[in-house]
Amino acid sequence: MISADRTLVDKIRLQFRRSESIRGYTLLSPTLLIVLLGLLFPLIILFTLSFWKQEYVDLIQTFTLKNYGDFFEKKIYYLILYRSIRISAFVMFVTVLLAYPLAYFIAFHVQKNKMIWIILVTIPFWTSYLLRVFSWKVILGYNGVINSSLLSLGLISEPLEFLLYNPFAVVITLAHAWAAVAILPIYVSLEKIDRSLIEASRDLGESAVATFIRVTLPLSLPGVIAACLLVFIPTVGDYVTPALVGGTRGIMIGNIIQSMFGKALNWPLGAALSIISMLTVTAAVCLLLGATQLFKKKVS
Amino acid sequence: MNYEKDDIIEMRATGQMSRRQFHAYMASLGAVAVTFPVFTGAARAAADDHPNVFTWEGWDAVEHHQQYLDKYGELPNFSIFGDEEEAFAKMMAGAQFDVTHPCSYKVEIWRDAGILQPIDTSRLSHWDDVISTLKDIPGMVHEGQRYFVPADWGQTSVLYRPDLVDPSYLEDETWGILWDERYAGRLSMSDSLIDGVMVAAIYSGAANPFDMTDDEVEKTRELLRQQLPLLRYYWTSPTDIENSMAAGELVATSAWNDAFTSLKNEGYDVRYMQPKEGAMTWVCGFCLMSAADPEKLEKSYDVIDAFLSPDSGQFEILEEGYGHANQKAFDLVSEEELAQRGLSKDADALLNSGIFQVPIKNEAVLQAMFEEVKAGL
Repeated sequence: MISADRTLVDKIRLQFRRSESIRGYTLLSPTLLIVLLGLLFPLIILFTLSFWKQEYVDLIQTFTLKNYGDFFEKKIYYLILYRSIRISAFVMFVTVLLAYPLAYFIAFHVQKNKMIWIILVTIPFWTSYLLRVFSWKVILGYNGVINSSLLSLGLISEPLEFLLYNPFAVVITLAHAWAAVAILPIYVSLEKIDRSLIEASRDLGESAVATFIRVTLPLSLPGVIAACLLVFIPTVGDYVTPALVGGTRGIMIGNIIQSMFGKALNWPLGAALSIISMLTVTAAVCLLLGATQLFKKKVS
Repeated sequence: MNYEKDDIIEMRATGQMSRRQFHAYMASLGAVAVTFPVFTGAARAAADDHPNVFTWEGWDAVEHHQQYLDKYGELPNFSIFGDEEEAFAKMMAGAQFDVTHPCSYKVEIWRDAGILQPIDTSRLSHWDDVISTLKDIPGMVHEGQRYFVPADWGQTSVLYRPDLVDPSYLEDETWGILWDERYAGRLSMSDSLIDGVMVAAIYSGAANPFDMTDDEVEKTRELLRQQLPLLRYYWTSPTDIENSMAAGELVATSAWNDAFTSLKNEGYDVRYMQPKEGAMTWVCGFCLMSAADPEKLEKSYDVIDAFLSPDSGQFEILEEGYGHANQKAFDLVSEEELAQRGLSKDADALLNSGIFQVPIKNEAVLQAMFEEVKAGL
């Protein structure tokens, strides 16, 4: 009996050693389990929910496409989704544009204590997201830092009102909040670039600008794309920032979805809107990746 | 590995600590940071046998719960909601609380959703002192069982800066100030159906704002559309409007009594309207949740009873500017203090002077309409 058990154990052990995929999955299993429980499972619930219907406080569990129909029928939902994507794309553009020079500086011009610089970059992440949004309210506010300094300098006679409570404030707040997420991947891809390639380019007579466009930028593109995705994807669904600094015109799809699960008490429609915005974001991301492929081909 | 931060930096800099060691250290820090709340949370929950109270910001003040604190030496556990819809969504998603503090117009839908249990008022020592009008609000007793204990009452009206608006408004107080184009960009309105959309409904002259016909809904929509470009923002937190009113960023906004009282207490020159179209009045109070832990039921009743005590009421009147349900609380404040806050000992008179908030009949239609207006449609 003991020997039989042994052989079975040995067999499993042998199988385990031989098969790379089994070992791979075992290594992945904690993450996989979390993804399965924390992402796939809720997604299935959300998907199912989106085909139901809400009447007063009850969920009617019969299949209906009404929620998806509502999305296309009523202007509001696709208008807000379009607006959210536009704001997020703008945030992505601003964030990456501001992040790139900083990442470039750390990668190429900081020689000592790079770790300190990296830690400095992450400092905004040491406080809560909400706190960062509120601090922007303090900076941009009617009696805020900008307005009171401009007033005391005598440059303006009345506080500027266009600073807060509009899409502009949403873009600034989000761009700051997600800066570190953009800087780090760009820094990593810049850091990895073989310096001899840049030297070669210069030796062969390319100008600094041409070297940047034809060597450095294409080689750092993976980092830039990662940064774009990391900023774009989460900001589309953000609802805290628009709710706090967006005013009457800065609302985004996240606010509508939140309202469906709260005030409007229409969970199925909220679920359908979530599914649609996820699909739209996926499509937008595919478009972005396609565009970069094209860019790569053009450069090479 | 038990190093101080400076040691780590130094060791890393001088090469005493390998990159791998450093990463291992960082990883262990991360693991601790992630699991820490889990472990301490579990430990705390085990040691804790006080009821979970789900209430408004500020209603967790110790002054409201002194009687409970005296009896048990500790306060109940508080969770805070911004409005009842948020609270409702949380509870429908499975959050469990023992006691909540909604306003009366929400009780019907909460009961229909099956999240309330009946309350036995004989277990409340202050019940006999509760103002009888408040006990008689319709809809709070269903099939002979009570689901709501009134705790406080107040108004929704216009808060404004008399120094910044046309003096004619001081004589002729009206909701119309929230539609005055002269104050474009310096007005605000509550981001809610009951305190926002209903204001437009009242101003539009709807026969019954809480049960409007299609025509009346369209009129209200038109008013909200006109108002949107005039608003600085829709408010969700009283703190926001208090700050903006103090700064002069806003000249007028819809508000509850507390914003008025706290600005007054801080010495700002603000006024709280009695608009000619009628202010809105409301009553909020306690519900026992069906998800309540039976073992904490005794303490849950004590939470409610403590809030109903005259001392808690005195604090509410003086500091928050709301009326309290306990008649005896009014004996602890002077007529003058009441008048300053726009309150009166006679709850009936105040509640009858305004438009009392009752359940909104076509909530879903109105919410969809409101979302569309906010989206600029």
